[in-house]
Amino acid sequence: MKVGLFIPCYVDQFYPQVAIATLEVLEKFGAQVHFPASQTCCGQPMANSGCEHDSINVYKHFVQCFREFDYIVTPSGSCAHHIIKHYNIVEQTEVVKHIRANTFELVSFLRTILKVEKMDISFPHQVGLHLSCHGQRGLRSSNASEITPDRDGEMLRLLKTITDIRLTQLDRNDECCGFGGTFCVAEEAVSARMGIDRIRDHIKNGTEVLTGGDMSCLMQLDGIIKRQQLPIKVMHIAEILNGQKP
Amino acid sequence: MSHSEKAKQFNGDFNHTTWHDESLWFVREKRDKAVYGVPEFQQLRTLASQIKDHTLSNLDNYLIEFEHNANGNGIQVHWAIDADEHNRIILDIIRLSNSKNIVKSKSMLTEECHLNPFLQKHGVEVVDTDLGERIIQFRDEPPSHIVLPAIHLKKEDVGETFHKHLGTPKGENDPQRLTEAARQHLRQKFVTADVAITGANFAIAETGSIVVCTNEGNADLGVNFAKVHIASMGIEKVIPKWYHLSIFTRLLARSATGQPITTYTSHFTKPRKGAAMHIVIVDNGRANQLGREDFRSSLKCIRCGACMNTCPVYRRSGGHTYNFTVPGPIGSILAPNIDLKKYSSLPFASTLCGSCSDVCPVKIDIHTQLYKWRQIMGKENALPPLKKISMVMTAKILASTKVYNRLGKLARFILRVSPHWLTHATFLNPWAKARELPVPPKESFKTWYEINRASK
Amino acid sequence: MNSRARLLSQIEKNKPALVELPNVPSFQNNAATIEVFETALLKIGGNMIEMNDLTSLVTIIQNKFPGILKIASSLPIATINVNEWTNQQTLEAIELVILEARLGVAENGAVWLSDTDMLHRALPFITQHLVVVLNRKDIVATMHHAYEKIQLPDYGVFIAGPSKTADIEQSLVIGAHGARTMTVLLI
Repeated sequence: MKVGLFIPCYVDQFYPQVAIATLEVLEKFGAQVHFPASQTCCGQPMANSGCEHDSINVYKHFVQCFREFDYIVTPSGSCAHHIIKHYNIVEQTEVVKHIRANTFELVSFLRTILKVEKMDISFPHQVGLHLSCHGQRGLRSSNASEITPDRDGEMLRLLKTITDIRLTQLDRNDECCGFGGTFCVAEEAVSARMGIDRIRDHIKNGTEVLTGGDMSCLMQLDGIIKRQQLPIKVMHIAEILNGQKP
Repeated sequence: MSHSEKAKQFNGDFNHTTWHDESLWFVREKRDKAVYGVPEFQQLRTLASQIKDHTLSNLDNYLIEFEHNANGNGIQVHWAIDADEHNRIILDIIRLSNSKNIVKSKSMLTEECHLNPFLQKHGVEVVDTDLGERIIQFRDEPPSHIVLPAIHLKKEDVGETFHKHLGTPKGENDPQRLTEAARQHLRQKFVTADVAITGANFAIAETGSIVVCTNEGNADLGVNFAKVHIASMGIEKVIPKWYHLSIFTRLLARSATGQPITTYTSHFTKPRKGAAMHIVIVDNGRANQLGREDFRSSLKCIRCGACMNTCPVYRRSGGHTYNFTVPGPIGSILAPNIDLKKYSSLPFASTLCGSCSDVCPVKIDIHTQLYKWRQIMGKENALPPLKKISMVMTAKILASTKVYNRLGKLARFILRVSPHWLTHATFLNPWAKARELPVPPKESFKTWYEINRASK
Repeated sequence: MNSRARLLSQIEKNKPALVELPNVPSFQNNAATIEVFETALLKIGGNMIEMNDLTSLVTIIQNKFPGILKIASSLPIATINVNEWTNQQTLEAIELVILEARLGVAENGAVWLSDTDMLHRALPFITQHLVVVLNRKDIVATMHHAYEKIQLPDYGVFIAGPSKTADIEQSLVIGAHGARTMTVLLI
């Protein structure tokens, strides 16, 4: 099984430690991981801004970089969602179809393909899980409160198997963080307010470590935590699964 | 003014934003409770969606069937291409019946057509009888929500308005007593009404009936005293069969307010003896939307307002920031059909979180359509020029490994060596108003990989 | 071309290929019990009194509505006669209306009244208090069962509890424009 590691552009540039953790976790569970050095971005930032047609070359570049893998794995539900759902505007060659059908967010890949049931690690902290919308509702990797009261999902199940972990029960389990790509600057006021409200929920309910599957949401939330100097440490879920300490 | 500019003003008052968000979240929570209590709720959503899809695919014939049956029931059916024609038809009916006293229950279509100002211009006064609508009518404001028109107001605002218009004691802010004052005031209007205008929640092709849902009873009180009943309905309100009402009445109130059903679900098939009934079927851009493959399913909307209550952006910006009759997510996919340029900021007033699509009782893929409208904005030059240019530039950078690598390194370097006051200057970087930027690392993952893995 | 023809032809041109109409199942797994009905009715602000038959009607009404004199009803308890031609002033003064409903819906506490059951179409709304007599045999489980049973009326209404509003700051107020109380007498 040949796994192509896709590291989203902003993770590559700003959060290399998250990419390293992703790589190491995949290797720990026996995946043969390759990182094509020519990769850049999935094209989502432009597409969400209404310019998907200007991004076709970015899509094509991505397809070129990842054409030879059985699976493409990325530490981002949002980027995986974009490739799976929105690469419908380029010609649907066999390669494109294969890529769209075999791209996975990290935890989803660990559970569905590598069949990881349990984590043999300890994490004695109270963890608040931020469910990123594109993974949760877009890829249906977690239940949505609009549909069922059962708070369940791939990330939660895996986190629950970690020794000594305590999980935060949020008042609003799956409200958006307010990042939203260029929304975070175009609608600065609402975006910031959404982030502030998410953090308040975590503070109120005792989160010590805030985690999630998307560094973009976590960047938004961390930006508020740092500005307000709040006692919450932010870690991508790959870092926790990789056995790292806060 | 764009949505974001108005939203910035709204967010200027932190506590008011908290209050607005929590008021609507409270409704969302009531909705959840009601929905969780019906095991087949998801199945009902699917059925409702399929019935609406079917209806839209045969809409002309269902409208003809509806008209035929309504005529047979003694109802006069009128057709209006646009708001102006709708308004003129209603004015004519009022004039022909020689009526003075007009009451109107809640109808988003008459709001959309700006019926009240039109009639007023022609010397006809209309009294809105839904409590929320009456409040905003006194205040000369548009509704900020399609189910809760005065949700933007605090009880103190209503108290002041009623003091001015209904003579309630100054400082009287108790909702119970304010509602009682409105009750006394409006009962006089009901019993003396000549014409009652209503909307229609559903129109049944099979029987020629319309159904109107209210909690206050104001639609029935108006219609059942007046000698003329006029109902305005959009072309998309028709459903094929009487029995289909069972699906929609189970979904509507649960989605809207968390009630198992509205207090009054009223079925009008024939006018009462001695009274007349008119139905105005209105297009106003809907048939055009029907022709847009990607957006036609927006016509399935049953106007429950659930997407507003759940939308984290709506809750933190209020209905008036959308500047369209139907605010919130559903309004943001309806408005560009009417005027692409004017409403170009609305599809961007969303994080595409998808909660709207998951609460929608008729399964409209609202957030997908927001994404698709964005692409149309991008193609038709409806984006702010700077945004378009920067996106095209970014796309160029990201299509080339070399340029990306080089510029990434450069950007991190600049961010690292620049002082905090500069990188966080809010006139350059709106992000920094409320948030810190991440600290840029010396090396990217790519560089790390090259050093630590690729060469080994 | 008139507006009707213009509109219909535009719809015909723009509508998608025919999509099939789904079959609606009968949803048999819901209970049609008195308990479910009463729970739903109480939640929406109504109340319920069980009685064996109508012989105790007068006593129950006198106990529940002491001092109320202006009663309109399809049952022989009326103090004011109402028919479809009754004038507004008379209707406006009515304090209590007692009508017989054809069916009740367990899932939401609603009762069905058609115009033939309500003497005057405005009566259930203009009254201060509404009492509806319902036979326990006529409780159905859901709206599906209800619509299967209903004969198409000239005018008919599901009434679920008293008139209410939450238009001022989401505060629930009972007694908006219509009846301030709504009682189901179950026989």
